[in-house]
Amino acid sequence: MMSTSSKEMKTRPQQPHGRRAGRRRWRLRLVEFLAEDEMIEIVPNIRMEALNMICGDYGPFFPQIATRVPLWLAVALRKRGKCTIRSPEWMSVERLTQVLESERESPREFQPLPFHYIEISRLLFDHAHDDIQNIYMVRSLIEDIRDVRFHKVETGLETIAGRTHAVKLKNLSAMEVNIVRPFMVRALQAFYKHDSPQVIQQSEPMGTRRPQAVDRGPRRDLRPR
Amino acid sequence: MPSYYDIDDILMEEEPLSVVFQVGANAVGLLDPSSETNSVDKGAKVDLPFWLAHELYLRQAVSISVPACFSQRTRKEIQADAACVDLSFRCPYFYELGCKIVPLVGDKTIGSFVHYTFTSRYKEILSKSHSTHVSTGPKFLNRFTKEERQLFDAARSSMVAFKKWREGGSRLERASVLGRKRKTTIPLPPSATP
Repeated sequence: MMSTSSKEMKTRPQQPHGRRAGRRRWRLRLVEFLAEDEMIEIVPNIRMEALNMICGDYGPFFPQIATRVPLWLAVALRKRGKCTIRSPEWMSVERLTQVLESERESPREFQPLPFHYIEISRLLFDHAHDDIQNIYMVRSLIEDIRDVRFHKVETGLETIAGRTHAVKLKNLSAMEVNIVRPFMVRALQAFYKHDSPQVIQQSEPMGTRRPQAVDRGPRRDLRPR
Repeated sequence: MPSYYDIDDILMEEEPLSVVFQVGANAVGLLDPSSETNSVDKGAKVDLPFWLAHELYLRQAVSISVPACFSQRTRKEIQADAACVDLSFRCPYFYELGCKIVPLVGDKTIGSFVHYTFTSRYKEILSKSHSTHVSTGPKFLNRFTKEERQLFDAARSSMVAFKKWREGGSRLERASVLGRKRKTTIPLPPSATP
């Protein structure tokens, strides 16, 4: 008990801007909320009528017969002990090991994973940890994949050195975008400002000036070359 | 044109610039502490905040000299090792001032110098901001200008928020009272309990 409270005391004053950090935490919840709409397979252990929701009709539910529902419904049922969740097929140890290997082998691109893989895995770890086989293995694999991918994003960001109007990030997931967004937006803004023709090209004679209307800066793939 | 509600922009305009008066000005002796009369002579060297210098420059009353943070000496230091230069000490609004001062002074290389500085310091910020542990860091933070600091904070706080989100299991926080263990071993009379 003591240790947790002292940790809290230590971390709290170092929040850089309380308001901004709060907004960021809220954004994380929003991303998580969006992830809860992903469909997932459950095996109910009760008999229940179909549920008619605004977003769609789910069920009817019969014991031991698998059906697909949104993640939020799955979590709600799981909390009440009315079903077990089948972990999605990409969350198996073999698949994740394979993904991790190919992530490591190709430093230029991201492997296709579900758009919300970080959020889905966290929700399942939190609420359905008994339903996932090899949960420790899966958890650490997902951590590793995330680290490798984030490192790629960082090395990609290093290549930005001038005015850039678009950054291509194929297969990046929602949470990864959410993490780099504040930094990236600011960095691109700063480059845009400092690399503007008004500031830089004034030293050149007028004749060699490019027409500014078409110059929107180069497009850039977020990959090391 | 400054953005009206941007506090950093407003603060940046307070940066002092050294200007030379091209005309004599009466009744503004307070601008020049060394003047004995209540006027500024033609050719007097005075430090004015950016906003005033800018307006006077537009009226061709003053000429602005290149500030010290864009001097040859600073440039040499930046070229040697950009990341180690304490820019915050030189001028906390280095980049903003650089961008704004380009049209006002004769030196046209300032623009590319500012760009070069940012590009070489950007990598340093990038590598430090996402990886650095929360508790470390104030040492190099002091070297950052305002803009770099904001960039750094943006990255770090989103990383911190993510880590919190990943660890935090339940949404409901437990009141500290509930965590206390009950003392059940020795039943004490009510008066003796603290």
